Amino acid sequence: MTSIGTGYDLSVSTYSPDGRLFQVEYANKAVEAAGVAIGLRCTDGVVLGVERLLHSKLLVKGANRRIASVDEHIGMASAGLLADGKFLGSRGRDEASSFRDNYNSPVTVQILSDRLSAFLQAYTCYGSVRPFGLSTLLGGVDKTGPKLFCIEPSGVYYGYRACAVGKGKALAKTELEKIVSKEADGQPGISVREAVKEIARIIYLVHDDNKDKDFELEMTWICTESGNKHAPVPADLLVEAEAAAKAALEEGMEED
Amino acid sequence: MFRNSYDSDNTTFSPQGKLFQVEYALEAVKQGSAAIGLRSATHAVLLTLKRSTGELATYQKKLIRIDDHVGVAIAGLTSDARVLSNFMQQQAMRSRMTYGRPIPVARIVQSIADRAQTNTQEYGRRPYGVGFLVIGQDETGPHLFEFSPAGTGFEYYAHSIGARSQSAKTYLEKNFDSFENATLPELINHGLSALHDTLQQDKHLSIANTSIAIIGPSDSAIEDLAISSAAKRGNFRVWENEGVDGLLRAWRRSRGEPEDGPAEETAAAPADADADAAAAPSAEEGQTAQGSEQAPAGAPAGGEDVNMEEQ
Amino acid sequence: MSHHPAMWKQPSAHSSFNDYATFPLAQTQRHSAISHGATQHTQQPLVTGTSVLGIKFDKGVMIAADNLASYGSLARFRDIQRLHPLGKHTLLGVAGDMSDYQWLKKELDALLRQEEALSLTDSHPSLSPSNIYDLLANLFYGRRSKMNPVWNAVLVGGWDKNKKESFLAFIDLLGTTYTAPTLATGFGAHLAQPLLREAFEAKAGVDGKGPLLTQEEGEKLIDDCMKVLFYRDARSINKYQVAIITEEGITISDSKSAPTEWSFAEGLRGYGAQTQ
Repeated sequence: MTSIGTGYDLSVSTYSPDGRLFQVEYANKAVEAAGVAIGLRCTDGVVLGVERLLHSKLLVKGANRRIASVDEHIGMASAGLLADGKFLGSRGRDEASSFRDNYNSPVTVQILSDRLSAFLQAYTCYGSVRPFGLSTLLGGVDKTGPKLFCIEPSGVYYGYRACAVGKGKALAKTELEKIVSKEADGQPGISVREAVKEIARIIYLVHDDNKDKDFELEMTWICTESGNKHAPVPADLLVEAEAAAKAALEEGMEED
Repeated sequence: MFRNSYDSDNTTFSPQGKLFQVEYALEAVKQGSAAIGLRSATHAVLLTLKRSTGELATYQKKLIRIDDHVGVAIAGLTSDARVLSNFMQQQAMRSRMTYGRPIPVARIVQSIADRAQTNTQEYGRRPYGVGFLVIGQDETGPHLFEFSPAGTGFEYYAHSIGARSQSAKTYLEKNFDSFENATLPELINHGLSALHDTLQQDKHLSIANTSIAIIGPSDSAIEDLAISSAAKRGNFRVWENEGVDGLLRAWRRSRGEPEDGPAEETAAAPADADADAAAAPSAEEGQTAQGSEQAPAGAPAGGEDVNMEEQ
Repeated sequence: MSHHPAMWKQPSAHSSFNDYATFPLAQTQRHSAISHGATQHTQQPLVTGTSVLGIKFDKGVMIAADNLASYGSLARFRDIQRLHPLGKHTLLGVAGDMSDYQWLKKELDALLRQEEALSLTDSHPSLSPSNIYDLLANLFYGRRSKMNPVWNAVLVGGWDKNKKESFLAFIDLLGTTYTAPTLATGFGAHLAQPLLREAFEAKAGVDGKGPLLTQEEGEKLIDDCMKVLFYRDARSINKYQVAIITEEGITISDSKSAPTEWSFAEGLRGYGAQTQ
């Protein structure tokens, strides 16, 4: 049914007659306008990558990073309203640090996702607030191994082997499925170093040169190589992955 | 009354996922007069165009010192700016008191961005109606940030906000490649040229309407160190009124213009805006849309740290 | 009340028992007015660590402390590390109450983890040694002003990356702060500090402007001082670690012992087997 003009879509505390919360659906629209964010769970860690769209060429190169650290071992990549992302990041850091205070051990990605999703869900319950315009990927390595979760504006969260949010997520997910299905077929799982290249390739593939603004590729990982800490992917590897991504893109064009 | 049913409060998303109240707040920033910021490898500068509401009013200041190493230029609602800059001053002081560390520029910007975000998510609040250009210097060198009511703080090589700032942006985009290695006088000249581009046809930069803030090592060729200890230490300092005269002259010389400023200014303007009349009525009133920085201000000052004026 | 380490856990004049200070009993009168209703904060440390030594050398700073946490005069925990790194270029050496020390570690680690997380976003370096020292000084002074001291004496050693110089400073439970090229807490301030100074000034001069000790010389000096402390401080053990902080970062040595000579003690009453 149509939402606009019915009056059922003005507040998140109002259901439509068929039981939908339109304000939450609209919040998802804010996510779809943002540059894509991709997370991939590998055998030896997790890799996060975002397409950082540049709304001005006067922006400082390499600054204004979109992936945040929540704890030593957990990274967060959000797609949607930037300010909401920063807010959730700082909430995440508070949760992680309070967990350490209480239990004297690092929070698992699962528990952190659970806490943050509950926080997001609260913003879908009251007319006095709006939902977060945000889909968030949480990746990390904890005592249960490499983990990747995605939290949506509704407050729902699922664990993933690979996930993409933001503009062009459908195409990105198709590509990710190809990678993940290889593992399902009994082939060995992907390593973080391979994943860096795959994510770079997918982000370049999803980016529309004609329609979209310029972008910078931003990638972090949590893996054995980084001491299981959340850290930027080393510059040389990133450059290599970017070059390979561009080459793959041109190759793809020739085939077309 | 409303443009559509989704723009009456800040807790409602439009079907396209937009927050109209936030976008309208961004318009409030454009109502303010222009502010420009640039940075090089060694310096960060702010240049602003001051407005006066009438012949009896002085020009409203647009530059606020936060700490020795941080200062802001404002565009939009002055009262909102005062609340936020006050908060920044507290944050800066807190960092110095607890850690003995000048607060990192990115963190102080993020602290007001976080406050602004809250105002976009809770009913009964409105987004702030002011934008900042923040310059500062910390362990990672000089910086320029833009703070906006949307709750974002982006770092730029050069940027402009406020009325007709697009013209300045065009200039900056054309020239920003040369900013990194520019000297302080070169940087200021670029800034003044960009600021000049925000003026209407018959208007000019004068000592009455131009103010400049600098962070970074001083340059005695263009700055009067005798009256500014902040300049001597490379701290945030503001040059305006007589203090900005030398900078304006140097800029005009660099453009091959008469050093005293355009002669036709006196003829074209209904009220005189002579270079020597700091508190004189000016030609710049009503230059653009309704001014929001319209409070009468304190006495003119040059070179030393600026304080927040009382109202 | 004296806060001197020599007084820690000593029986007070009107205590009718615990005269040998074998374990720490609360020193307040059980039926005094104070113990009824009035809020009381920490009155004495319980499990304690003794001296910490610090010295600047030509490439950085070294800090040493033994591995003992005493419960009164009982050598209760004999494998405790009292040197704690904070980030890549700062290190704490802590004497005094060990539970307060553990609390301090937790608080500071949380703060540094927060700094580290933020630095991914803004690329700003973490807190410097002097930043951490200022914070601790404020914290200790604030707590003593609330009559609830953090019962420690701390040496902060580090390498300042911006100034390219070493850092060494002291704070105690009263919020007292000072800095010097050689420092020691507790008994060390009496027994080791003169030795440290003598060796330091022999090379650097009284004004400290001459060449500093080399790392080898510094380590030798520390070994000597730890030996003297073990001979004379009854709350020490001959098992200690030395941390070296330089531009390259922090290394903390494995536990080691100083060679000691006890044959002179054989004739002493109370040492070894009783002969009469």
